[in-house]
Amino acid sequence: MSETQEKTAKPVDPLEPFRAMRDAYLDAMAKTMVEAVNTEAYAQASGAMLDGYLAASAPMREALDKSMVQALQQLSLPSRQEVAALAERFTNVEMRLDDMDAKLDTIAKILRGGAHAPEPPAGKDSRPGVAKAAAQPRGAAPVASAKRPRRRIVRGRNTPR
Amino acid sequence: MEQAVVASDAFVALQQRLWTFTQVLTTKAPIAQTPKELVWALNKAKLYRYTPVVAAEDRHRTPLLLIFAIMNRPSILDLRPGHSFVEFMVGQGYDLYLLDWGVPGFEDRHLKLDDYALEYLPRAIRKVKAISGCEEFSMLGWCIGAILTTIYAAMRPDDGLRNLLLLTAPLDFSDRNGITFARWTDEKYFNVDRILEAFGNVPGEMIDYGAKALKPVENYITNYCKLWDNLDDPQVVEAWHAMNTWVTDNIPMAGGAYRQLIVDLYRNNLLMKNELVVRGERVDLGRIRANLLTVIAQGDHITPPCQSEAILAKTGSKDKELYRIPGGHIGIMAGSAAPRTTWPHIDQWLSARSR
Repeated sequence: MSETQEKTAKPVDPLEPFRAMRDAYLDAMAKTMVEAVNTEAYAQASGAMLDGYLAASAPMREALDKSMVQALQQLSLPSRQEVAALAERFTNVEMRLDDMDAKLDTIAKILRGGAHAPEPPAGKDSRPGVAKAAAQPRGAAPVASAKRPRRRIVRGRNTPR
Repeated sequence: MEQAVVASDAFVALQQRLWTFTQVLTTKAPIAQTPKELVWALNKAKLYRYTPVVAAEDRHRTPLLLIFAIMNRPSILDLRPGHSFVEFMVGQGYDLYLLDWGVPGFEDRHLKLDDYALEYLPRAIRKVKAISGCEEFSMLGWCIGAILTTIYAAMRPDDGLRNLLLLTAPLDFSDRNGITFARWTDEKYFNVDRILEAFGNVPGEMIDYGAKALKPVENYITNYCKLWDNLDDPQVVEAWHAMNTWVTDNIPMAGGAYRQLIVDLYRNNLLMKNELVVRGERVDLGRIRANLLTVIAQGDHITPPCQSEAILAKTGSKDKELYRIPGGHIGIMAGSAAPRTTWPHIDQWLSARSR
């Protein structure tokens, strides 16, 4: 009875008898492969394979790009390049806003008499939708929040246009 | 009859193992669970502040900013509850911030190390200072993140950087025989411009293949054997699952930064020669004055120790330390020994310099 229980309790692994052999083989293989990939021949072969792939796929990629641009033009839709250019402009605008944010921080510091008062600690911001919304950054704008009613800022930021 | 029962049980056990194995390989583990708040964002980059668990009066005064590589998710720093560097440091009383570079899109293909180190990083740091109310800060850079923090530290030595921690930092590329990546990316074999022309950004899968191909047997076979052998140990399975979730979550690398990495660093070693030019200005490592801790993984095959040793002699820091730990590139921070070795040492070094 107990013998049977012991047998059934032990998990069965079909690879168990071969494990030691397998490990020894893998160890040997691992050392061989590490040496193999660290050779000039491997570097040359992998470079050639990559070049071959890129050369072979280039005509199809170019044709696809051209036809896609034409199709998008026909449909009066922006191309990938145009959307990318727009995104770059957005990033520039974001940077300008960030610079303005920095200037506001400096002004706020001066207004506070030079004392460097810290921003509200994390999780303590009472503005709705700020602490919870992980997808939206908490803007610093301490000057704005000091000068204007807090509710107006929240509405301006969170209300969909 | 007994034999039939044994065979039936064996079949059920095998079925259970196969189910667990498949489950672990095909699902994502919950990682990066430490509570945090998004405090700043620019383009794809996001700055998080981890919710402090230590009372303000008991916390370290100097905030700590974590910078990870640009071609992997930073969630490795906060792998899983109970085994997370972030969780550990928050518990030790640090005001902790993490800069997540995000996933570059086609529109970000021109982003260079210059942009990361001198556009994004200073802005994030400004935010850290504004929130913490402290003009000084510490920065921990890991892997490519260490390159960015080093460039920043050299270009902005008066910006309040008090402590600089570099983990497995690939900074010195002079020993070309000791660096497998340097061999692979040699200009004789590797046409970086053709890759960027084809893809814009370097696909995450390609970067993942490069990292795994350094140790192909371990990464493609032994790793899975280890999981199979330990399927009955829930702790091992949980750890493996979390790590696999991070490893398989590949992101592309911005083309401009990749080109600089290959041409300026891997091929020409410009940073260590003090010849790297960023935004028209030469990066002089001698201008780094922050307290410096360099952590080297002795078994690192991605960033061999020879790449991280020379930085100590190059910087102008008066307080500097080299700390060697047995382990691999990721293992020293996310491996099972990390909570007993790397993390306490980092805490010990940093806490003495954060008051």
